[in-house]
Amino acid sequence: MTGAGAQADPLDPLIHVPARLRIVATLAALPGGDALSFTRMQKMIGLTPGNLITHLRKLEDAGYLSIEKTGNGVASRTSVALSHRGRAALDTYTAALRDVLTGL
Amino acid sequence: MKEEHDMDERTTVAEDGEFDPRAAAKLLEQTSRRAQRQFEFPSPLLSLIQAAAVLAAYGAVWLSVRGQNPYSGPSGAALPELYAFVAVAAVAVGLDGRRARAGVSGRSSRQAWMRAIPFTAAFLAVYVLMGALLYDGFSHAIVYGIVPAAGPLIVVGAAAAGYAAAREDWQVLSFAIGLVAIGAGSAFAGPAGVWGFAGVGCCALLVCRAIVQVWLRRG
Repeated sequence: MTGAGAQADPLDPLIHVPARLRIVATLAALPGGDALSFTRMQKMIGLTPGNLITHLRKLEDAGYLSIEKTGNGVASRTSVALSHRGRAALDTYTAALRDVLTGL
Repeated sequence: MKEEHDMDERTTVAEDGEFDPRAAAKLLEQTSRRAQRQFEFPSPLLSLIQAAAVLAAYGAVWLSVRGQNPYSGPSGAALPELYAFVAVAAVAVGLDGRRARAGVSGRSSRQAWMRAIPFTAAFLAVYVLMGALLYDGFSHAIVYGIVPAAGPLIVVGAAAAGYAAAREDWQVLSFAIGLVAIGAGSAFAGPAGVWGFAGVGCCALLVCRAIVQVWLRRG
């Protein structure tokens, strides 16, 4: 099960964007059920906070990841985790990418 | 770091805005590999630090017991050295774990604490066994030689092997079986020689682990 554009485009347009591909690939490197803090993700991905939030929201709206905020004020912490749907979407995307490259 | 990512993005998206599949495949592979390296625990550097620490710890004891006849056990000076090197290795493990797990939360963090329980129990059981053997009148060669040198490697290695087998983690399973083999095999070297053989064996195994980790990174 992938994003809305997945039927028309073999490469899921939600993932087939450099920034979002990096986000999904980074989260997929964690064991299932683990979440990554927004701060560390920003360091690893190298995007500005505003840019990162925009991409995260798009992926969250598609159900590919979950964003959880805990605490208040300076003690607040935002964690991002890849959902089962997001992991499956990345697997589908990887397989589709392989097929596309084979056909080139 | 940011410049590197920006450069990636500029070079992977073509002028017409299309994201080239070949560039996508490369970016996916690079990002996955980079993330795995950053989350990796233990790191190859930690393996090398552990290799040096175990060689120094076992070596210090071996130097203090070689030539003893009859065998009486490690000298009072060797034991602080042994525990100092164990402490160095423990601090290195803690720092490397903190590096890898920074910002990571969830199931595997909770499981890490659960995993520590059987390993700690197995390790402590060796010292309880030493006490029991001493109480039962076994010689110092057994109680202060074979058991403390080979015992921890066998029990901790066996516990790690069981854990790795359940997860089908062949890299850890191979390492754990190697530990068990070194522990059991080095016992043939006698109460003094066991320290030397176990120290060199563990050091070689840890260096091999570091080499395999680096090789797998290059994949």
